[in-house]
Amino acid sequence: MAANEAQTAREEWGTRFGFLMAMVGGMVGAGNIWRFPYVMGDNGGGAFVLAFLVLLFLLAVPGLMAEVALGRYTNKGVIGAFREVLGPGGMVGLGVVVLLVNIALMSYYAPLIGWTLYYAAHSLLFTFTSSGFEAEPFMNAFFGNPALMIGLHTLVIASVAGILTLGIRRGVERIVVVAVPALVASLAVMTAYGLTLDGAADGLAFAFTIDWAYLTYSSTWIEALGQALFSTGLGWGIALTVGSYLREYDDVPLGGGVFTAIGESSVGILAALAIFPIVFSVGVEPDAGAGLAFVSLVQVFPEIPLGGIVAILFFLGFFIATFTSGLLITEVSVTTVSEETRFDRTQTVLGICGLIWLLGLPSAYSTEFLDFADFLFGSWGLPLATLAIILVIGWVMGPERLRVLAVNRNAGIHISSWWDPVIKYVIPAVMLFIMGYYAVDEFGSPEMIGGMLVIVLFPLIGYGIMSVADRSAAERETTEVTGGDD
Amino acid sequence: MALTPPVIGMLTFTLLAFWGIAGWALVRTLRQESRKVELLEDQDRIDTYSPKALAELRDWIERNPEDPLAPKARAQYNECVDALETIDHRFYDWTDQEVESLERL
Repeated sequence: MAANEAQTAREEWGTRFGFLMAMVGGMVGAGNIWRFPYVMGDNGGGAFVLAFLVLLFLLAVPGLMAEVALGRYTNKGVIGAFREVLGPGGMVGLGVVVLLVNIALMSYYAPLIGWTLYYAAHSLLFTFTSSGFEAEPFMNAFFGNPALMIGLHTLVIASVAGILTLGIRRGVERIVVVAVPALVASLAVMTAYGLTLDGAADGLAFAFTIDWAYLTYSSTWIEALGQALFSTGLGWGIALTVGSYLREYDDVPLGGGVFTAIGESSVGILAALAIFPIVFSVGVEPDAGAGLAFVSLVQVFPEIPLGGIVAILFFLGFFIATFTSGLLITEVSVTTVSEETRFDRTQTVLGICGLIWLLGLPSAYSTEFLDFADFLFGSWGLPLATLAIILVIGWVMGPERLRVLAVNRNAGIHISSWWDPVIKYVIPAVMLFIMGYYAVDEFGSPEMIGGMLVIVLFPLIGYGIMSVADRSAAERETTEVTGGDD
Repeated sequence: MALTPPVIGMLTFTLLAFWGIAGWALVRTLRQESRKVELLEDQDRIDTYSPKALAELRDWIERNPEDPLAPKARAQYNECVDALETIDHRFYDWTDQEVESLERL
């Protein structure tokens, strides 16, 4: 996997708005819509919001600044950026770890995007408000139809591939500048409508009542921590990749840090405002995950005026949220593999998407497998990727070097030295804590054993691949030099 | 459950803390972008560091003269100094005295 120097000049975002929407589109996913509102209401409402806000500013905002800055500084994808900091060799394999985690993540996220696509299509057909419709049998029939699930998985991967082959500006940017505002608009309209319904106040009270006692519970902080780290996509390589396409005079900390972390979390807040007034208006119990999106809410649509239209708003928004994340998750691998190999972008997109499609078949076939993969990679794979990126920045590149060279260059806000210890000590310590917490919590379970295998095997695989690849590249270069012009 | 004043207060705080900050950041960064584009069209280059950030860069270079990235840091420092000496309109809040006191490294 030698760097292909013959490749053409690197693409850049066409507009500042395109970059910002790509960041938010990449980070806003299913979790913002179907998990955040319930977690918020179930953990002390306003108390959870405060804990979450503190952790966002303490961890996610500085962490995202660092990741985007590394991408912008090196102008390379994950592996190239790591090589620039670490030098060639096996340790660059930490970049391969990030890549493997992203591919694994997308392999089970693509079928989930397929679910949202299926429900969005049915919302357009007004299925949920037709007479005799029942939410739970409908969902069970859908989940029990592997051919349909695999078909949707295939359609999603094909759509992602089609857009990514067009490139950053003509593909990703064109989609996100329309899709992200459309997502916000759909949730905003849903909120405005929901607030007019009888019982909406109960929904708001569920989400925003302050129970200060929750700030003393460790479970509140663990939930807020998980949300602040996983919802913002910190350390997944998305921010690094998106940042690598920034233009010379672009800012990093204001757009890549503050706007991205707070903006994407704002979508979760909006989802709470959109969903709970409607759910409570008909007295349905709030829930999280597939139970909320595909049962609770779907039961509500026939009960409220204009329910068919509200269903369209919700499921189109939900599909957009998941699809744009899928695009950017896949782009992480496409960017770095196309840089590191002799394949052009189209060939890389086809190869990566083909691999993800293949690896995603078990998750498309079985929701139990998808749940297992989600827990495995969500609990250990993603923190491992985050740890890899933050350790490279915090302990090899050095936060102060990155700050003076890249973060504060052309910056919209000044970042002073408080940032350095956060990157070097606080974020790695928190990641280790959260991985340890999950390990203790799940001790002895198949998920925990699988997670330990991921933690051990992924770095070893990465080290092995990059040792061989960088050695071959060095030997090739030596041969070329000695062969020279003479 | 009803909408009590604490719930309304929390709702207002949440909207301001999230949508308020996100909106502020979005407007500010887009305005800065417009200003940069305007300056670049007019004079082809802009100052790349604020006074505080450039002072920190200089301090870092002086403390780490042998660092492998020191040459790159010096180049970035000098690039900003050169820009400040040649441009008419600055992006950051530089005073004339501050610019006159700058020296290339």
